[in-house]
Amino acid sequence: MSLQQLNSNSFEEIIYDDCESCLVIFSRKDCHVCKEVVPMLDELKPQYEGKFGFFYVDVEEDKNLFQRFSLKGVPQILFFANGEYQGKLAGKVEEETVEEKIAEVLNA
Amino acid sequence: MKRTALTNKLLVLGVDGMDPRISKKFLAEGKMPNLQKFIDRGAAREDIRLLGAIPTITPPCWTTLATGAYPGTHGITCYWRQSPESLDAVVYNMDSRNCLAEQVWNVSAEAGMKTLVWHWPGSSWPPTSHSENLSVVDGTQPGSVNMGVAQLDWEKVIVATPEIKEVRYAPRVDKPAGVGCIITDLEDTLDNDVDDEMMELWWGDTARQGGEIRTYVMDDEDTEVVIGSKVAYDIVNSPLKEATGWANAPEGSKEFTVLTSGGVMRRPALILKNAAGEYDRVAIYKNKKAEAPIVVLERDKMVTGIIDDVTKKEVTKPACRSMKILELDPVGNRVRLWISNALDISNDQLWHPKSLYQEIKSNVGEVPPVSLIGGEDAELVREIFEPSWDLYNKWQADCLNYAIKEKGYEVVFSHLHNIDCAGHQLWHLGKTLEPWNYTDEKTYQGFIEKFYIQTDKYFGEFLHLLDEGWTVFILSDHGLIVGENVPPIIGEYGGLNTKVMEKLGYTVMKKDENGNSIREVDWEKTRAVQIRSNYIYINLKGRDKYGIVDPKDKYDLEEQIISDLYNYRDERTGKRVIGICLRNKDAVLIGTNGPECGDIFFSVEEGYNRLHGDSISTSEGYFDTSVSPVFVAAGSGIKSGFTTERTIRQVDVAPSVAVLLGLRFPAQCEGAPIYQIFSEEV
Repeated sequence: MSLQQLNSNSFEEIIYDDCESCLVIFSRKDCHVCKEVVPMLDELKPQYEGKFGFFYVDVEEDKNLFQRFSLKGVPQILFFANGEYQGKLAGKVEEETVEEKIAEVLNA
Repeated sequence: MKRTALTNKLLVLGVDGMDPRISKKFLAEGKMPNLQKFIDRGAAREDIRLLGAIPTITPPCWTTLATGAYPGTHGITCYWRQSPESLDAVVYNMDSRNCLAEQVWNVSAEAGMKTLVWHWPGSSWPPTSHSENLSVVDGTQPGSVNMGVAQLDWEKVIVATPEIKEVRYAPRVDKPAGVGCIITDLEDTLDNDVDDEMMELWWGDTARQGGEIRTYVMDDEDTEVVIGSKVAYDIVNSPLKEATGWANAPEGSKEFTVLTSGGVMRRPALILKNAAGEYDRVAIYKNKKAEAPIVVLERDKMVTGIIDDVTKKEVTKPACRSMKILELDPVGNRVRLWISNALDISNDQLWHPKSLYQEIKSNVGEVPPVSLIGGEDAELVREIFEPSWDLYNKWQADCLNYAIKEKGYEVVFSHLHNIDCAGHQLWHLGKTLEPWNYTDEKTYQGFIEKFYIQTDKYFGEFLHLLDEGWTVFILSDHGLIVGENVPPIIGEYGGLNTKVMEKLGYTVMKKDENGNSIREVDWEKTRAVQIRSNYIYINLKGRDKYGIVDPKDKYDLEEQIISDLYNYRDERTGKRVIGICLRNKDAVLIGTNGPECGDIFFSVEEGYNRLHGDSISTSEGYFDTSVSPVFVAAGSGIKSGFTTERTIRQVDVAPSVAVLLGLRFPAQCEGAPIYQIFSEEV
C-alpha cells in the first residue's frame, strides 16, 4: 500500500501544521469493506501527486484518533484542507464519489 | 374599558427561582443594595413575598404571571404536558398555543403600546397576537436566549502539559469532583449513553413538534439533584511544547492544541510570556499560518463574543463562544483552559421580528453562552459557572436598556434564569446530606450568596428607570429550597416517578430474571401512575390506552390511593412525606383542577421537598430558603416606601399591570389588582 500511515503526532503535523489538502482513511486490517476501499484509494493517489495527499490511520493502532473524531465504524474517509475538516465519506464508497469530493475540497 | 393609566411605561424584571426569604437575609446583611433601593422607593409586603401559584413549577407560574389565571384555568400545569398517547410519557409544554388564557402583553400590544416579551418561559412563544406592537424573543426554554436551538458544540476543558505525549479527546466525560482532567484510560471515560443533545432533546425542533419524552425516576440516581450536580464536559489533553512551524509565534511561546466540534475542528494555541518572562496569556489561532490570533486570553478574565467556525453534523457555521484560563503555570509547564458551548450566531428563528436580533447583535453584542458545568466541582462553579452568568446578566440588561432607550418599547416583560439555573445544579449542596457528604455546605451557601449578589447587580442596571417615569416590578415564579432531607421518589417533575407508587402497589414495573424492576411499566397490572410534579393518573379503561380500572371503581380507588399516600412513611426517616392530596374536582381550591391535572393532585410535605415543584408555595427549607416567589414594585403609580399586609397572589400581577397601564383585564384573569400599593385610587 502506498498510503502513508499517520499516528496522533504525525496527524497533527501533516494534516494541521502543514495545512495540506488531503484525505485520511480510517480503516482496520480485518475489515472487508476497508479491503475494497483502500486499494481503490491506492490507485487514485498517483493522479493527485503534489496536489492532494492520501493518508491512512489504523484504528486498532490509533484508537485515540478514532475516538477523537467521534467516528462510529470503518472505513471512513475524512477530508481536510488548510487544516480544516471538510467532511467525510463513510462505508463502501465509489471511486467517482471520492473524486468528486476531492474536486470539491480543491475548489473550495 | 376606559381607565386612567397610572403609568405609561412598565418593566417586569422576572428572575426565575428568586426567593424572598433568602433575599431578606441578604438584604439584612447589606448584600443586595439595589433591591433595597427598589424596596425603599416602592411597595411590597414586609416579607417581600408573593403567594405562588401551584404547582411551583416554572412554565405554569410564568403563565399565571402573564395571564392572571390559575394553572387549572390556563392549562399549563407542569414543566411538561402529559402525553395524550401514553400515561408514562410527557411532551413539550412551553408552547403558547397550549395556553387557554389570554396574556396581558397581547392586551397592551393591541391597545397600541409597544411591547417586548423577553425570554419568558411560560406561553410566550410563538407570539399569539398579530399586533405589530408585539415583539417576542425566545421563551421556548428557561435557560438563556437561543439556548435550545442555537447550540452547536459543548463545553470543554483543555489540559496541556509537557508530559502528555499526544492529543486526546474525550467527549462528555462525567468527571467526579476533585479528579484532574487527565485522560488516563479513554475506554473507561466514555459513556455509551452520552447524551450530547440534551438541549435539543428537551427544547429542540423535535420536542417542540410534540415528540414524546419518556423519563423514569426510579431511584436517587435518577433524580435531578444527583444528575444535575455531576459535571460533564468534553476533555482535551494536549502536549505542551516549544512552538514550531508558526508563521508568527512570539519569542519563547509554547504551543498546545485545542479541539472543538466533536473533535473535528482543531485550533493551535500558544502560551505567551510577559515582559518579566512569566507565562500569563493564551492565544488561540485558526491555524499556524495565521498572522493574528482569534483571541488572546488573560488570567482571571472571562472573554465572550469570540467568533469561530464550528462543525456540527457536517455543517460548518460561525458561532459565539466564551473562554477563560483556569490555570497557567508562570514557568510554562501547565495550562488549563475552559471554552464554552458554541451558539450559532445566524439563528434568528425565535426572534419576532427577526430584525430585532440583528439590531441587538450589532448594538449590544452576540448572545453570550452560559456555562452549565459546575455542580459538585467548586472550582468550576467559582471560576466558570457563576462568572458566565454574570456576563450574561450584563448582556441581557444592556439588551433591555437598548430596547427601552433606542427602540421605544413601553412595556417590557423579561425573565432571567441565573438563580434557578444555579439552583438546579447546586442548591441541594447547601446542606451536606449523606449522598453528597464529600461536599462542604458552607462553600455552596457561599455560591448561593454570589448568585443573589450578581442578581442585585442586574437590578442596579435598571434603577435609572425610576427617575424616567417607569414602573418596575421585580418578581419571580417560585423560590428554591435547600432540602432538609433527601427527597422521596415521588413528585419529580421530569417524568414518571415509580418508587413510592411501586411500593404502594399501584404502579407495577416489569421484572428481570432476578426479580428486579426494569424500566418498563407492566400496564396489565398498573392501576395508577405518578407523573410530573404533582399528578396521579388512574389507568382507566376507555380513557387510557392500556386502561385496566373500571370507571365505576375510580372514586374508591382514588380514596384508597389518598389514604395510602398519607400513611406512607419515608424509608430514611420514618416520617410522613406526603403533604396534601386532593381529587381533581377538589383541587380547584388551589387552582390545579381540570383536564391537565390528573385524577389526584398531591404535594410533598415540607422538610422533604426537592428544590421546587413538589411543594406548595409556602414551603420552607434549610439555610433560610423558601419556595415562595418574590414581589416588589416601584416607580410611577406605586406608593413610595410603602409596606402592605395584603396577601399578593401570583394571579394578581397581570390585572395590576392592566390597571397601571389603563388597560382592560386579560380575558381569563382570576386575580385582582393590588390596589393597596397604587399611588392613586382606582
